[in-house]
Amino acid sequence: MLPSIRPMGESAVLVTLGDTIDPPVAARARAIAAAVDADGRLGRAVPAYASVLVPFDPLALSVAAAGRIVEGLVGRLAGRLAEEAPNAIDVAAAGRLVEIAVRYGGEDGPDLDEVARLHGLRPDDVVEIHASQEYDAFFLGFAPGFAYLGPVPASIATPRLDVPRPRVPAGSVAIGGAQTAVYPTETPGGWRLVGRTAAILWDVDRHPPSLIAPGDRVRFVPIR
Amino acid sequence: MTLEVVEPGLQTTIQDAGRPNWTQLGVPVGGACDPWSLAVANLLAGADAGAAALEMTIVGPTLRVREPTLIGLAGADLGGVVRGSGRRLEPGRTYSLAAGSTIAFPGGDGAAGARSYVALPGGVDVREILGSRSTLLSAGFGGFEGRALRAGDLVRGSTAPDSPGRERSWPWLDFDPLAAATGPDPITLRLVAGPADGVDPLVAGEWRVRPDSDRIGLRLEPTSDGPPLPASGELLTHGVVRGAVQLPPGGTPLVLLADHQTTGGYPIAGVVARADHPVLGQLRPGAAVRFVAVTPDEARRAFVEQARALERGAAACRADDWDELWLSAGR
Repeated sequence: MLPSIRPMGESAVLVTLGDTIDPPVAARARAIAAAVDADGRLGRAVPAYASVLVPFDPLALSVAAAGRIVEGLVGRLAGRLAEEAPNAIDVAAAGRLVEIAVRYGGEDGPDLDEVARLHGLRPDDVVEIHASQEYDAFFLGFAPGFAYLGPVPASIATPRLDVPRPRVPAGSVAIGGAQTAVYPTETPGGWRLVGRTAAILWDVDRHPPSLIAPGDRVRFVPIR
Repeated sequence: MTLEVVEPGLQTTIQDAGRPNWTQLGVPVGGACDPWSLAVANLLAGADAGAAALEMTIVGPTLRVREPTLIGLAGADLGGVVRGSGRRLEPGRTYSLAAGSTIAFPGGDGAAGARSYVALPGGVDVREILGSRSTLLSAGFGGFEGRALRAGDLVRGSTAPDSPGRERSWPWLDFDPLAAATGPDPITLRLVAGPADGVDPLVAGEWRVRPDSDRIGLRLEPTSDGPPLPASGELLTHGVVRGAVQLPPGGTPLVLLADHQTTGGYPIAGVVARADHPVLGQLRPGAAVRFVAVTPDEARRAFVEQARALERGAAACRADDWDELWLSAGR
């Protein structure tokens, strides 16, 4: 059945690979996006957890024609993967390891105590668990340089706030469900703030402007 | 060539055709809310169709002309006028402005549409960031330091006008994509169904644009009791496009506009046809809209027709003997 390819207007198709947050599926979405970009007949693809948005120029292509091109790319990718080791895609798509120094708790992480309380843990336990993982950067969205990182262990995964904060300071490190992220710039936000980093996540004068790229791995390092 | 901002207006920003190549880093495409009028203003002024221009919103700025210049004006009629002489500045043509004169856009009537564009020869000269000069207010970069214009800002064109003093009109050729936006309510928008369910109640109802709408999206509320929208849950976040009609919980659909986020988690019941994006950019709070379902191929044909009309206008703008060409093209 999957993947499905459906039109999103006359200028894009959405490729859906599944309906769960699963690192190998997200890696496959990024691999399809890379194949779309390399092909050159379509616009810049937007991968997410289990989907790829493929925009294209409607003056050049119909939805049907674009769908056939995407179908071909997805099929060729699946064939190539079948010939390689089952985990080849993780290796092929693996990016750099990015280490981010974080001051946890206090003013830097105003929700740390509440996250600990909700899980019956001490704040130090939450810090230890959060900083002991290597997270996948599944994709970027929400704001420039905002990487959806995960999976976060169930022992500290925490639902978003009912009412988002109107302003989250740049550099805030947060947990939202089974994801974690760093807010690159001051924006509204509903995730639980557990710490803050001095690292510059987004800088338009840097190349590339984003510290974290899709497919990178991220580790948080606690500092005092 | 230089315009000094005396009063900034409600929200005047620098916008061009946007930055489509950085969505993988979470950067909104952005750009002019009404791409047709941006192109018309630029072509009139002797700039590329996608060059940077001033986007004015409902109440435009007051600008002092520091050096003689030609401007191209297109989009909504925001009551533009040359102070002193009282000369009206109506959209769809160029104006030759003398040094020392002051122009103002105090706002049009409610039926006028929301946005208008002032283009300068060669395009507005600001730094290009990630392939575009567009202001991205939500992230604070592009245009003038990522913000709306303020009093004292100096807006410069990139080149001298080709033929200063020579004024021209846009050759409409019986094709005006904004006709619907300035016509009687409700304004009809063509909608391609999907990818999620829910297009039927969208098409059956009548909707009003809420005041909490902005460059990111137009929030809609039903004007009367229509069939209920489908129960909305949150989906796995996926990439989204301009014109997408999201159905968040609460029955107030959000139509994504230029500065929408690259990804979203609400079901998308339909996408406004690309040919109607200029109209989307012209909707004011309070405007009533209806949706009519079209197929992707119908939506594509409408956009091809619009692109051809723009190309005919562009060819006329480039022609040496402007008047003769556009008269013959209109025949």
